[in-house]
Amino acid sequence: MASPKAPVTARVVRWLDRRVGGARMARKTLDKVFPDHWSFLLGEVALYCFVILVLTGIYLSLFFTPSTSVVTYDGSYGPLRGVEMSEAYESAIRISFDVRAGMVMRQIHHWAALVFVAAIIAHLARIFFTGAFRRPRELNWMIGVTLLVLAMLNGFAGYSLLDDQLSGTGLRIANAIILSIPIVGTWISSLVFDGPYPGTEILQRLFVAHILLIPAVIGVLIAVHLALVIRHKHTQYPGPGKREDNVVGQRLWPTYTAKAGGLFFLVASVLAALGGLAQINAIWVTGPYRGADVSSASQPDWYMGWTEGGLRLMPPWEVRAFGYQIPNPFFPGVLLPSIVFGIMYAWPFIQSRRAKTDQEHHILFRPRDHPVHTGIGVAAFTFVTVMMVAGSSDVIAVTFGVSVNAVIWTLRTALLILPPIAGLVAARLCVELQRRDAGPPSVAAEPPPANPPSSRAYPAAPEPELADQLSRSSAAESATRLRETP
Amino acid sequence: MTEPASSAERKGPPAPTTHVPMVAFIVSIVAALGLTFVYWRGGQPQWEGALLCLALGGIGIGVISWAHRFLPAGPDEEPREQVASSDEALAALDADLIAGEEEFGRRRLLVRLLAGAAGALGLAALFPLRSLGPRPGAGLKASPFSTGDHLVTEQGTRVRPEDVAVDGFITVVPEGNTDDANAPTLLIHTRPGQNVPRSGREDWAVDDLVAYSKICTHAGCPVGLYQAESGLLLCPCHQSTFDVGDGSRPVFGPATRSLPQLPLTLDDDGYLVAGGEFSSPIGPGFWNQLR
Amino acid sequence: MRVRRRWVTATGIGACVAVAALGFIASYAAGQGTEEADPELIEKGRQLYQVGCSTCHGENAEGTGEGDDAVPSLVGVGAAAADFQLRTGRMPLAVIGKQAVRKPPAYGNDEIEALVAYVASLGPGPAIPVVEVASADAVNGGDLFRANCAACHNAAGVGGALSYGHHAPPLLQATPTEVVEAMRTGPGQMPVFGPDTFTDDEATDIAAYVTGNLQHPDNRGGLALGSTGPVPEGFVAWTVGFVVIGAAVFWVVRGRRRAAT
Repeated sequence: MASPKAPVTARVVRWLDRRVGGARMARKTLDKVFPDHWSFLLGEVALYCFVILVLTGIYLSLFFTPSTSVVTYDGSYGPLRGVEMSEAYESAIRISFDVRAGMVMRQIHHWAALVFVAAIIAHLARIFFTGAFRRPRELNWMIGVTLLVLAMLNGFAGYSLLDDQLSGTGLRIANAIILSIPIVGTWISSLVFDGPYPGTEILQRLFVAHILLIPAVIGVLIAVHLALVIRHKHTQYPGPGKREDNVVGQRLWPTYTAKAGGLFFLVASVLAALGGLAQINAIWVTGPYRGADVSSASQPDWYMGWTEGGLRLMPPWEVRAFGYQIPNPFFPGVLLPSIVFGIMYAWPFIQSRRAKTDQEHHILFRPRDHPVHTGIGVAAFTFVTVMMVAGSSDVIAVTFGVSVNAVIWTLRTALLILPPIAGLVAARLCVELQRRDAGPPSVAAEPPPANPPSSRAYPAAPEPELADQLSRSSAAESATRLRETP
Repeated sequence: MTEPASSAERKGPPAPTTHVPMVAFIVSIVAALGLTFVYWRGGQPQWEGALLCLALGGIGIGVISWAHRFLPAGPDEEPREQVASSDEALAALDADLIAGEEEFGRRRLLVRLLAGAAGALGLAALFPLRSLGPRPGAGLKASPFSTGDHLVTEQGTRVRPEDVAVDGFITVVPEGNTDDANAPTLLIHTRPGQNVPRSGREDWAVDDLVAYSKICTHAGCPVGLYQAESGLLLCPCHQSTFDVGDGSRPVFGPATRSLPQLPLTLDDDGYLVAGGEFSSPIGPGFWNQLR
Repeated sequence: MRVRRRWVTATGIGACVAVAALGFIASYAAGQGTEEADPELIEKGRQLYQVGCSTCHGENAEGTGEGDDAVPSLVGVGAAAADFQLRTGRMPLAVIGKQAVRKPPAYGNDEIEALVAYVASLGPGPAIPVVEVASADAVNGGDLFRANCAACHNAAGVGGALSYGHHAPPLLQATPTEVVEAMRTGPGQMPVFGPDTFTDDEATDIAAYVTGNLQHPDNRGGLALGSTGPVPEGFVAWTVGFVVIGAAVFWVVRGRRRAAT
C-alpha cells in the first residue's frame, strides 16, 4: 500500500491495479522498443488525421441536418437569400457562415479527409516497397487495404452529404455506376436510394453511414491493425546490430511517447493552418444541387480522381447480347477498381509464391533488392497516377490552352505505355543499384544473401518465466541507462 | 538549467538548452489565449486557423524538441520471438480443438441441423434489407414526357417556338412532371439545314427546333454545354460529345447511346407540346434497359 | 366658335399623333440599332473597316471562305455584336484559326463607335443594350447563372473546356454591358440567349450577379486556390501534406541527433 507521501503516479497506478491488474504487462509495454525511422511514422500521420476527423466530425454533426426537405434560405449570406435549397445544404451554409468557428471546423474536417487518404497511400507505398506485408503481416496488410477503401468511401459519403451542386453531380454518377452492375444493379440502386434516383432518403442514409457505420468499422479495424503491430513487433531496416530476432530503436516510455505525441500536435497544427487559410469546397459558390444543372470542372475529391479518370478515358465500348447490356461505366467504375483492389489484397500471397519464401520476415528489404516486385509496384502507381491526372482532363485543357480531346487521347496512350515503361525502368534501376552496391566489376554481383532458410534461426519462444527474466533484465539495463541520463 | 551529466563526455556540440521548447510552449499559450479572444469577439476563420496552428504546433514543437534534447535517445534493444507458436504448443492446441470437434461430430444429424438453422437465420436476417427500397420498376424506362405534355421552362412557363433564338437553347421539363430526375430536356434552335432527321423522325422538329434529353446516356450528368457554332453538345463530366444535327449521336467520349429525342408539335395556341414519348430510355444504361 | 374649336381639336390631335409617330419611329429605330444615323460616323467606320477588317470579312462585310475557313458575314449582326467583339479586343483576331480571346482593344473609343455604327448600318440586328445593374435582382441572376451559364463558364466564372480546342472564357473582367451583349449575340461557340429566352430584366439580373458576387466572391474561408474545386484542393493536400508533414516527420526522427549514450 502506498504511503500518503508517495507520488501521485504511484497512487494512481495502485488504484487502477487493484481493479484491473496487469502491472507486469504495463511495464513490458512501457519498455517496448520502436524502431526509429521517418518512414515508420506515415501510418501514425494517417491515424492522427483520423482522430482529428472524428473530433471535428462530432462537432459538425451537432449542427448538420441530413434532410432533403426544401427550405428557403434566410440566413446571413446575401447572394443566396430567397433561394430554395435542401435543409442539408442550408445547414451546411449555416455552419459555414453563422456558427462561430463553424467554417474553420468544416474546413479542417475536409482537409483532414484529403490528407488522411494521402497518408494512408504513402504508408501503403512504404509497406509495399519494403516488404513489410510478408508473413506474418499479410493479415495486417489486408486490414490496411480495407481501411483505404473505407476511408475513400467515407470521404465520398461525407462530401455528398452537403447536397451542393458538385457533390450532387457526383452522386448521380455513383448511381450510374451502381446501375451498370449486371443483373442486380437496378435492385441495388433502388434499395440504396429508396426508389428511383434521387429519392428523399439518400442523405439520411449517407449520414448514418458516414458518422456511424463506416467510422465504427474503421475504428475497430485500426484497433486490430495496431494490436497486430504490437503482437508482431515493428519491422526494421537492415543495419548494424539488427537481426530477425531483435528490435532496435527507442523505448515507448518516455521518448517514443513524446515523439509520437508531439507528431500528433504537429499534424493537427498543419491541418488547422489549412483549415483556416486555404478555402475548400466553397459550396456557396457552387450553389444547391439541381438535377438539371452542372458546372464545368466537376471532379470528385482527389482520391476518387482515378475512377473519374477511368470513366473519362474509357472508350465508348459496351457489351450487348440478347437484349441485355453491360453498360460502359461498369468497366472503369466497378470492374477495374475490383481488379486493382483484388490484386492488392492478394499481393502478399502472390509475392510469397513468386519469391518462393514462406518464412517470417521482420527485417525489411530495400526496394532495390527485389527489382521485379519494385517494378510492378512502380508500374501500378504509374497506372493509377495517369488515371488520376485524366480525372482533371478539362482543367488541364483550360489551364494549358490545349484541346481536351487531345488531352484524353494522349492520356489513353500514356495509360497503356507509361506503366510498363516506368516499371521496367524502375526494375533496371534496382539492378543497377545492386551492382553498384556489390562493388567493382571484379567482384561478382551476387544478389544479397537470402534470408536464413530455417525458421530454427529464431530462438524458440521462451517459456513464460524465462521470458519474464529476459524482459526484467533488459528493463534493468534500460533502467540503468535511464538513470545515467537525467 | 541542469545539464545532462553525459554531456561532459562530449566535446563537440554545445549542451542542449531549453530555449526552443520554452519558446514553443509560450507561443502555444499566447496563441490559445488569442484564439479564445478571437472566438469571444465573433470569430474569423483565418485568425482561428492561424492561432490554432500556433497553439497546436507550439505544443508539438515543444514536446519533440524536448525529446530531442533531454530524453534518452537509445538505441535500445529488445528480443523478438518468432510469431508462430512452438510445435508443442500447436500440437496441444490441435489436440484440444479436435477433441472438442469430435464431441460435436458424434451427432452428425444435429451438426447438419445446426448448420441449417444458422444458415436459415442468416438468410432471414438479410430480409429487412428488402425494406430499404421498392423493386426497381418500369419507371426506369418510362418517358418523363407523355404525348400532349406541354414543354415548360424550369419556372413553369409554357414555351413557344419564338422563345428560342436561332443558335439558342433552353432547358424544359414536362408540365405536371417537373421534378422527375429524368425530366430535364434541351430545346435547341438549330440553324437551317443543320438538323438532318433520322429516318422516321422527319416531323419531330418544329421550325428547326429539336428536343433531346439533357440527361447524359453515359453517367447521368446534365449535358449542359451547347457549342452553337459546331452544333455539338458536350457533357462536362466525362466529355461525351453529341452531334445535335445527327440525332445527338455520340462522336467522342465514353457515351455509347445517342441522347433520346423528343418529338415536338404545336397545340392550338402555338405552344410546344410533346408529339410522343422519348425515342429511347433516359439516362445511363442498365442491364435490361433495352429489352 | 364651333369651327375654331374644331381647328384646335384637330391641331391638338394631329400634334399628339405626330409626337406618337415620332416616338414610335424613334423607338423602332433604337430597337433596330440604326439610331446612330449620323452618316459621317458611318463613313468613318466604313473607312476603318476597309483598312482593318475587310481582308477577312470581305469588301462589303459579306464574309469570305467556306467550311472550316469561313469568316462570317457582318450583315445583320447588329451593333451589340460589333461592340462586344471590339471592346473586349477579340476582334481584330490575333491568330487566325484559334479561338478569339479577350485582349486589349485595338481601337480607341471613338473608332469603336464609328465601326459599330458602320456594322449596325449594314442591317438590323441587336442594339447595344442599356444595362443598369444597381437595381437588379442579383440573387435571381445567380440562380439563372447556375442554371444556364455555369455549365460552360464554371460556377465561379473561371471558364471551362469545350471540345476540340475551344473554351468558354473566364468572366472575371466582363462589364455588365459585355455580359448582356454576349448573351444576345452568342459570340463564337456561345449559344444565343435572345430577349424571348431571357427578358431584359433577367439578362440584367445575370449581369448584376456576374459583375457583383461572381467577380467579387466571398472567400472568407481563405485562399480560393483558383476556384476550380477538388483539383487544386487535392494538389494542395498532397504538396502541403508531403512537404510540410513530411518535413515534420523527418524532423521528429532525425532532428538534433544526440550521440548515443
